[in-house]
Amino acid sequence: MPTLSHFLLAVVQALALFAVAPLISGLSRFERAKMHTRRGPSIFQDYRDIYKLLRRQDLAPGEAGRIFQFMPVVMLATLMVIATGLPMLTRFTPISAVGDLITVVYLFALIRFFFSLSGLDSGSSFAGIGASRELTMGVLVEPIMMLALFVAALLAGSTNLGEIGIAISSGTVHSAAATLLAAGAFAFALYIELGKLPYDMAEAEQELQEGPLTEYSGPSLALVKWGLALKQTLVVGWFIGVFLPFGSATEMSFFGLIGGLIAFVIKLFVIFGVIAVIENSVARARFRLTPQHSWLGVGAASLAFVFYLVGL
Amino acid sequence: MDMFVQDRVGGEYLTALRTVLPNAIVNEEWQTPRQVTITVTADALADVMKTLYYEHYGWVSVVVGNDERPLNGHFAVYYVLSMEGPQKCHIVVRVEVSAITQEWPSVTPVVPACVWGEREVRDMFGLTPVGLPDARRLVLPDDWPDDLHPLRKDAMDYRTRPAPTQDDETYEFINDAKQETTIVPIGPLHITSDEPGHFRLFVDGEDIIDADYRMFYVHRGMEKAAEARMGYNEVTFLADRVCGICGYAHSVAYTTSVENALGVVVPERGQAIRAILLETERLHSHLLNLGLVCHYTGFDSGFQQFFRVREKAMVLAEVLTGSRKTYGMNLIGGVRRDILGDQAIETRRVVAELREDVNRLVDILLETANITGRVVGVGKLDKQVARDFSPVGPMVRGSGFARDTRSDHTFAGYASVPFTPRSHDGCDVLSRTLVRIEEVHDSLNLIEALLDVAPGGRILTEDFEYKPHKFALGFTEAPRGEDIHWSMTGDNQKLYRWRCRASTYNNWPVLRYMLRGNTVSDAAVIVGSLDPCYSCTDRVTVVDVRKHSAQTVPYKEMERYGRERKDSPLK
Repeated sequence: MPTLSHFLLAVVQALALFAVAPLISGLSRFERAKMHTRRGPSIFQDYRDIYKLLRRQDLAPGEAGRIFQFMPVVMLATLMVIATGLPMLTRFTPISAVGDLITVVYLFALIRFFFSLSGLDSGSSFAGIGASRELTMGVLVEPIMMLALFVAALLAGSTNLGEIGIAISSGTVHSAAATLLAAGAFAFALYIELGKLPYDMAEAEQELQEGPLTEYSGPSLALVKWGLALKQTLVVGWFIGVFLPFGSATEMSFFGLIGGLIAFVIKLFVIFGVIAVIENSVARARFRLTPQHSWLGVGAASLAFVFYLVGL
Repeated sequence: MDMFVQDRVGGEYLTALRTVLPNAIVNEEWQTPRQVTITVTADALADVMKTLYYEHYGWVSVVVGNDERPLNGHFAVYYVLSMEGPQKCHIVVRVEVSAITQEWPSVTPVVPACVWGEREVRDMFGLTPVGLPDARRLVLPDDWPDDLHPLRKDAMDYRTRPAPTQDDETYEFINDAKQETTIVPIGPLHITSDEPGHFRLFVDGEDIIDADYRMFYVHRGMEKAAEARMGYNEVTFLADRVCGICGYAHSVAYTTSVENALGVVVPERGQAIRAILLETERLHSHLLNLGLVCHYTGFDSGFQQFFRVREKAMVLAEVLTGSRKTYGMNLIGGVRRDILGDQAIETRRVVAELREDVNRLVDILLETANITGRVVGVGKLDKQVARDFSPVGPMVRGSGFARDTRSDHTFAGYASVPFTPRSHDGCDVLSRTLVRIEEVHDSLNLIEALLDVAPGGRILTEDFEYKPHKFALGFTEAPRGEDIHWSMTGDNQKLYRWRCRASTYNNWPVLRYMLRGNTVSDAAVIVGSLDPCYSCTDRVTVVDVRKHSAQTVPYKEMERYGRERKDSPLK
């Protein structure tokens, strides 16, 4: 059972991430502008956008049903639940029931499910195509994610994300090659999960007018945008928690948490910097060719499993 | 012109035509040594067109309708053919249409390239092309009355617009798919096109099975305005405004048409300056399109970098014309502004800089990891389709035909410098992009070469006489392909008829074939590879969020406010 302090940490962690998510997506926009040789908006622009959208009228297409209405709330709520469970400032998960790898993978799948369903429910053909793309991407990404995490779990002997992180950071895992490969495959799967170029299939602006987002407006659009920003932060946080927990707090102490926070922010900053370089130096992949890319990830994850078996 | 009989080019085609179809040609009239108008009988029209098009390597440039009832009691339809066989010239096939029956036999069944032209003549003049397979309107909106044809001389005043006859859009989009398809509407307003055009994709999953589209949402009625309202000299400046990107090409085409009709000889220096400005325009237009190719494939970094470099082309325009756009430089008889010594030096400097920047950027573009995957084999324009529909510019040059007005026909100063048209055989988006990349380099070379060879002397001829009811063609190679204008003078210092055909007009009809068999993700890049040019709106609607009111401000009012800067129409 989580103690009161663990529970507090979980809530504070979730709320803090919720609050800074638009800042992080704003930072991405800022970096993007710099690489375009544009002056670009300030890093706080996403807050302004959300504020503006929140004051606007909420319009839904005539054919849209309940799911279209509920999706933004479901999405944000699920993300907040994930945010309470991921080990970010600490090595252990604040709420261990949520911090299980299977729980987290399928909470993300739940979001994908509702996101696609809302696209189909909106009645727009762009959103429909976006939705079917989103589901296809899910089918391609999940095996990589699961396989990579299972290898890590087998190495650490636990499916708890915090335990895996502790095992990897303390060097008690017996196969370094398997760990590295699993980390690589997991990073690749998460990159696709981020929905950034070249894999922003579902929302491809020039092709599908932002796919499932097409029909959203006003406060719902604000929530979805906020949700997507939070999702990107969580996805990166997930990777940091499992494979890069170095520097985070090992126990609940004030200075430990402060140290963990600083380490986390630095890691987040570096990773988003790398992502910005990747996403701004490629064109969008052709949707039809993505399975060829994802095979690479499956291959790497499988190889990691083989390495685990032979104990390299 | 009779004294130049021995200089005439293209007479052989007419001789050949007379042997095959002895009684077809009723009349033959030469406008210039390389431009002839033949009047043919209606019965022989299709055969004449088919022979000239397919057997003598002709391409349809434009179809012009004309209400000649005040002149000779008939309507007339002119089919302009650009002959690009061994003898390069223009043959205009004219057919008279009776004012009583108001119908003539359609050419489209034998020469598909005439389809848009004939549909437009039907809309604008109310003449019926008998046998035309496509019965839909082309230019007129759905709410336009059936019996009102704007370009007839007795139809309507250019300032009025008839009351709408209905509220619904009734245009029928054609879908040839055999299986069940989902409709993906792109437009009339869409995120990737800044101007209105309605593309309807019929898709099965991600695959485009068929596609259809509709244009002319913002038809500006320029031809009517030019004929009714403006003097023939002012139309030069209206022609500038046909396009926001390649306007100068239109004003050169227009002035050339009047110069050809009236026999005005433009001084060589004036011709060279026109060519230099045309190439400047091509530079910024092609750099725009190269940027857009990046944008459509999601590679926005490339897009922004191309726009950064393109800025230098705008600077070049400013050095040469005094403004960032090459507007207001032409007059009938020449140009208004010379290129002085220090401007020439500055031009050479900017050209050298541009060459270096473009080289670097193109290397980056072609080496970007997955860009080739997006453009190779995508949006194929089959050679036979290209041959049948007469597309122009980089579109047709990307499908293996080296058609370029700059080398096929003489205009502006191109005769004085070496030039070879570019072409690529891939038929896909990549080929069209490569053609544009090579043409950017050619333009830079041409500007330098033209500066070298341009002779001194006058830039404008002013001693010419306005003669009534003379007509001729004028043409240029705009960045998107051949622009062609057909002008006929009136008897009142105006034009009797002005037909202005922008290059993209010839490129739209093939788009359908290019979209088929591709996926939805490629639609934007395919439409973009056409480098489409739509039109612009002429009114501004202002919505006040706080007052919850919408107010439409007439263009004139905005124009006045722009000039006077007082009494804002928005208060």
